[in-house]
Amino acid sequence: MGPLRIGIDVGGTFTDLVAVDDDGRAIFAKSPSTPADQSLGVMAGLSDLAARLGATLPAMLARTGRIVHGTTVATNALLERKGARVALLTTQGHRDVLEMREGLKGDRYDLRSPPPRPLVPRQRRFGIRERLRPDGSVLTPLDAASLEAAVAAVATSGAESVAVCYLHAYRNPAHEIATVEALRRALPDVFVSRSSDVLPQIKEYERVSTTVVNAYVGPAVRLYLTNLERRLSEAGLAGSLFIILSHGGMAPVEEAWRLAAATVLSGPAGGIAGARRCAQLLGIPDLVPFDMGGTSTDISLIAGGAAALSAERGLAGERIALRSLDIASIAAGGGSVAWIDSGGTLRVGPESAGAVPGPACYGRGGEAAAVTDANLVLGYLDAARFAGGRHPLDRPAAEAAIDRLGERLGLGRDATAAGIHRLINLKMADGIRLMTLRRGVDPRRSALLSFGGAAGLHAVEVARELEIARVIVPTVASVLSAWGMLASDLRYEVSRTHIGEAGALDDARLRAIFAGLEAAAAARLGSWFDGPIRIERSAEMRYGEQIFEIDVPLDDVAWEAPGLSGRVHEAFHRRHEALYTYASRDQEVVFVNARAAAVGAVAPHGEAAPAGSPVRAGAGSRRRAFLGSWREVPVHPVEALSPGAVHEGPAIFEADTTTVLIGEGDRARVNALGWLDIRLRDAPGAPPA
Amino acid sequence: MNAAIDPITRSVIQHRLGAIAVEMGESMLRTSYSQILNSSRDFSVAICDVQARLVAQADHIPVHVGALPWAVRAVEARFAEVAPGDVVLLNDPDHGGSHLPDLTVFVPVFGGGTRRFWTVVRAHQSDIGGSTHGAYNPRATEIWQEGLRIPPLKLYEAGRLRDDLLDMLALNTRNGRDFRGDLAATVGAAHLGERRMRALFGEFGGPVVAEAVEEIFAAAEQQTRAIVSTWADGVFRGEAVLDDDGHGREDIRIVATVTKRGSDVEVDLSASDPQTTSFVNSSHANMQAAVVMAFAYLIDPDIPKNAGALRPLTVVARPGTIVWAESGRPVTLCTSHPSNEIVEAVVKALAQSCPDRAMAGWGRRFRISLQGEDPRNGRRFIWHLFHARPGGGASPGGDGWSSIGEWHSVGGLKFGSVEVAEVRFPLHFRTHEFLPGTGGDGRHRGGVGVALDLVVETDGPALANTAGDGARHGACGLLGGKDGAPHDYRLVPAGRPERTLRTKEAGIEVGPGDLFRIRSGGGGGWGPPEERAPEARARDRLEGLVADDAPAADGAR
Repeated sequence: MGPLRIGIDVGGTFTDLVAVDDDGRAIFAKSPSTPADQSLGVMAGLSDLAARLGATLPAMLARTGRIVHGTTVATNALLERKGARVALLTTQGHRDVLEMREGLKGDRYDLRSPPPRPLVPRQRRFGIRERLRPDGSVLTPLDAASLEAAVAAVATSGAESVAVCYLHAYRNPAHEIATVEALRRALPDVFVSRSSDVLPQIKEYERVSTTVVNAYVGPAVRLYLTNLERRLSEAGLAGSLFIILSHGGMAPVEEAWRLAAATVLSGPAGGIAGARRCAQLLGIPDLVPFDMGGTSTDISLIAGGAAALSAERGLAGERIALRSLDIASIAAGGGSVAWIDSGGTLRVGPESAGAVPGPACYGRGGEAAAVTDANLVLGYLDAARFAGGRHPLDRPAAEAAIDRLGERLGLGRDATAAGIHRLINLKMADGIRLMTLRRGVDPRRSALLSFGGAAGLHAVEVARELEIARVIVPTVASVLSAWGMLASDLRYEVSRTHIGEAGALDDARLRAIFAGLEAAAAARLGSWFDGPIRIERSAEMRYGEQIFEIDVPLDDVAWEAPGLSGRVHEAFHRRHEALYTYASRDQEVVFVNARAAAVGAVAPHGEAAPAGSPVRAGAGSRRRAFLGSWREVPVHPVEALSPGAVHEGPAIFEADTTTVLIGEGDRARVNALGWLDIRLRDAPGAPPA
Repeated sequence: MNAAIDPITRSVIQHRLGAIAVEMGESMLRTSYSQILNSSRDFSVAICDVQARLVAQADHIPVHVGALPWAVRAVEARFAEVAPGDVVLLNDPDHGGSHLPDLTVFVPVFGGGTRRFWTVVRAHQSDIGGSTHGAYNPRATEIWQEGLRIPPLKLYEAGRLRDDLLDMLALNTRNGRDFRGDLAATVGAAHLGERRMRALFGEFGGPVVAEAVEEIFAAAEQQTRAIVSTWADGVFRGEAVLDDDGHGREDIRIVATVTKRGSDVEVDLSASDPQTTSFVNSSHANMQAAVVMAFAYLIDPDIPKNAGALRPLTVVARPGTIVWAESGRPVTLCTSHPSNEIVEAVVKALAQSCPDRAMAGWGRRFRISLQGEDPRNGRRFIWHLFHARPGGGASPGGDGWSSIGEWHSVGGLKFGSVEVAEVRFPLHFRTHEFLPGTGGDGRHRGGVGVALDLVVETDGPALANTAGDGARHGACGLLGGKDGAPHDYRLVPAGRPERTLRTKEAGIEVGPGDLFRIRSGGGGGWGPPEERAPEARARDRLEGLVADDAPAADGAR
């Protein structure tokens, strides 16, 4: 047996693991997640994986070349507000940038909610006497006495972590670097984040907020990762541990904790890595991954085989301006509660019944009608076989909950339940439409990739709302993340603000700006990777007075031939046109940030993908389901599906962890992996097959 | 169809309408050209029906929203014939506009051959001609000095752009290029809404959509009435006072007499002071919008802002007063002032009826616009002050937000990056930080304002205008809470003595190295100060949000 690669995805409930050998053979394991110390669940899962391989843990680790890991340590620290005690050093006279939030407040008509508390309270924000001009030259030198006083104040504040963010430091990091050195000398145990390292880009609110998040989650991420690395090495790991970052690339442990703010989406990034692999495997370049769970639905985009990135993200109300995979989360899931507002209008969500009490049909005392109750009443779910029969559902309780709503609406049980099903689908379709509008993508050209336990009953109808013609349902969705991670590239990005008129940048100047970034990125990646390195270039540009830059990929721009500047301009105009329907070629173009990524491609592994269990004889059955009217609908156990078989809708497909519904006229083909490949009836947006 | 449509279809259509408005706003944000729109977000979108009733909106700038139906009314009155592909434009206050810089675009939506709706986008232009840059002209004594008046006119006829007309409009603004870019984005957003509305008709049919809209109105009305009926009945009076009109008249009163009976509210502004000679007059549409805004703040945030929700509200006012000036009077400041004071008067009155809902005053607007030449590139520039936002009012829910803005925008205007401003303009932001002691004291404290020291780094003379209010009267405290500190803006010329800037000045000469010393006011406090929890006071001291010698602002400086 050859060397192994192992993918580990830590989810809220389960830790999924996959080991793949050089021949592409894959073995899967699953163990309960251990939120207090995720490494326990990881180590337990690894032992289970070893057992399935018929080896001891040390023997398995001894022949493991690489472990790729998606972690939610930073995510949880931020969501639960359990990060480090942080102090912030800023330019004197500007210490409230973090709390001002650029003067913006959400919920326009809610004037009775108090402001959110910033991650660093005002008494731990210290102004330092120093100032740079916008061109990076020094207006006020870094004042030693002022710095010394601040370092002493940090010490007495009890801060475990310090963020340093000075104005215009993206242009000249000297003052920040000198400050960090002073902090390290005086407070060697304190975690230090500097803005010119974390996000060397113009716009102080984005930079300070991102740097503060980095400082806030950094110590927890460092502790977890160094512990895990030590445990793995003690257990005999020969190879290296890599962490998936929010942008979908991966980095070694030390890099991951240094840039801890870049790991807040490490977990979901695994799911997108899985989606991206599906896109490759199925030859579908444009996919909308649709991950519907109990309380929320995550939506992302794969366009041209690549996952969309965005720098306009945050988490838990905190701005994180690092580029990350573009994942939109909508508060809609199987647990979303249906209710009637004071105007008598039926609404669904955003309140969720959660796991406890859960939907009425869970029989845990929930009274409210949730989406899952509607699905049960409509016959889409089988009360006895829910979750593989481990958690049978209480159908009378669901009916009673739906009836209570129906009486107030003057509607029968079926119509009420069907209305709930329709509204939640609409809500998710709207979320996808808004997301794609923001990215300039027409959803009709994509296929919907359904994963997450609750997705299967809704994916086809959501697709229909969006005029999407094709829906893919991998029947082994839960392990897709861990499997997809193994195909991630090593990636290191460097960016630099060069705000100015693009017209003033001639070919030589452009090449010089990028050459510096390319060298820096390649050198950094080269320090932990000895394979071939590829460079990806992009620029953030906008028209003169616009404030939002757009990200312009420059990989297709011929770099060495004369006329580079013109080609970069044209790439911007075209991108703008694609996103916003127009380009203004007569207007001034501003070049804001240049970015280079060094990408180390790891050897692609075999084409084996997680397939459904081997076909076993399983009897199909029928049950009554409401599809406009009550019908007898065939029910197919997923494990009994034969590759190549085609099933006409309406039909229901049942697996342990999910149930899939297709409608009249839809056709589901079972592909070689046992996944469902569904074509919708009459879909006008259907791409040529 | 005669029978009422089923509740599911109604929910679906209501959801769609809201989503369309959100999409229009998103498109606007991402395509507009000038800073005032894409950074400061000074625009709004709506869907109205042909009876000029507000059907759906997205949460942008509250003071725009209640005014849009009046603009639709003017469009309907002007054009007997509207064809698919027409695009209508207007800004004039005699024709449903609020003030001249707010340009409004209308696209008709046809379903089954019948014209049923308008998609509407209103966007604030950074310049609209007139005798000063940036539209705000404190010296103006008549509307013609404030800019170009545009009655309802067709910018597109049956899908064809009237480019001669566009050339004329662009030529009459100081930055025609921005004007064209912003107008293209505005028309684009309205068109996007129209496409989505047609898809909605395609799915349900025009009559069903129209019927659903009636039911959506009825539902919102029912929701609003359910809330209003819990408030105490009675006749209540609220008064707010403007500093001055900039032409020598001080303490101009806005008086709201509010009658609350059952689930109805009548707001009567007739007792307000007479109109003035300056731009602090309100237009009719803006006055209507300000009352709607106050009412919307007091009901529940999640009630759809549509014509149904506003049915319980009646507005009475008298032409010739400060809240409804006669034709030809200047009105540019009105979306800020007296909008804020109309809200204040209404909220103060209704605080006696629903004290558990009423919030203290948010800051007043005090803007500066500066034009000059950037010595680094020799280019002319116009810069608008959006930094140094005032504090927000405290409420029954807690302390006010700091540095968040005024009652008319409530956190909807973004001030943008200091770094970007320094790169793009010859300005140095020496200090931009919370100003302790400015939030009005109370059981809940008002949010604090900002200290901004701004150095002008031109080589030659620059010119500034101011436009605003609130240098004498701070944001109001409520139910025993104290007023927030008023604004204090000064110009400190290099080598010469400083002077206090008035809120309505034109043609201020600013020299190289001159310093604007800007101290914006705080929000009002809510509830008696003696009821403030000791731990809240301790935190104020720890965070340095109160001055050393006083607990919080008491409205005097």
